[in-house]
Amino acid sequence: MLERLERGWRVIATGISFATFGVGGLALRLLFFPLLSLLVRDRPRRTRLARLAVHHSFRFFVGLMHFLGCLDYRVEGVEKLARPGLLILANHPTLIDVVFLISLVPNADCVVKASLANNPFMRGPIEATGYLCNDSGPELVEACIASVKAGNNLIIFPEGTRTPLSGPMKLQRGAANIAVRGPCDITPVTIQVAPMALTKGMPWWRVAPTRMKFNIVVQDDIRVSSLVEEAHGEALAARHLTERLHDYFSTETQRHAGA
Amino acid sequence: MHMTKTQLFENLRTLLQDTFDIDPARITPEARLRDDLDIDSIDAVDLLVKLKPVTGKRLPPEVFKSVRTIQDVVDALHSLLDESVAA
Repeated sequence: MLERLERGWRVIATGISFATFGVGGLALRLLFFPLLSLLVRDRPRRTRLARLAVHHSFRFFVGLMHFLGCLDYRVEGVEKLARPGLLILANHPTLIDVVFLISLVPNADCVVKASLANNPFMRGPIEATGYLCNDSGPELVEACIASVKAGNNLIIFPEGTRTPLSGPMKLQRGAANIAVRGPCDITPVTIQVAPMALTKGMPWWRVAPTRMKFNIVVQDDIRVSSLVEEAHGEALAARHLTERLHDYFSTETQRHAGA
Repeated sequence: MHMTKTQLFENLRTLLQDTFDIDPARITPEARLRDDLDIDSIDAVDLLVKLKPVTGKRLPPEVFKSVRTIQDVVDALHSLLDESVAA
């Protein structure tokens, strides 16, 4: 009985959290960002402040979900993210992975699904932060490299979309292409979630049987320079690196699974 | 220089093998670049750069958006080279 009550509460709490997220996104778009563009004329500075605002909003959101009892989380190695110009690659189990990652990175840049720029709750933040949009292949790789070289910490999910619940993980080659052609070393972040919810194809209100636990680990960097030298050409190096990342994330996210 | 379609195909096959490590047996005229050979738009840019010394002419990137199969690429290269002969 108590368990069912607790589960019912988590449906409500998740609803409150997501509603807050939407209202927050609207408030940023309608109030904060217009004010910001009035007060700060310098565009790079404005973008930086907008990203910082999103960072703090997402920190608040994660805190809210924790406070309301939707989830628990543990972060390891966060100090490794306090360096500029990182290419951060993570696996993508849930809807809120990017929220967690941006809550850990003040100067985050990320690649946003082009269609999200039309979502009324997200359009404001996406425009003001100048996050990259994913509608172009080779140009996007160039833009990503430029962002990292400019000192941003670029967050990318190499899978391109959330991990399917069943079947193997599948990686796109875009992230590896950025790493190889930059070249940029990789800062991997592994996200383990148990019990699972908010996955692809699962509605947000279908909450987990017990409170979700996120275990987020910032791993040691993967150096890519040697890889590029070994392979014949960038295209092959990107293929090899994609395979390596696939093995890496498949292994690391299975480690101590359920622990 | 005038290359036959067969020569163009052989050149392309060698290039695909060297650049992307694709098994030559899989490279047939009917093979689809994206679905069968796993060549994405980033690879296509690489391929265009590498095709330039072979054909002596630069294939415009738009062409790659309209091609699907290896035969399409061969045809596009062939008509491009034909144009330059006629000109």
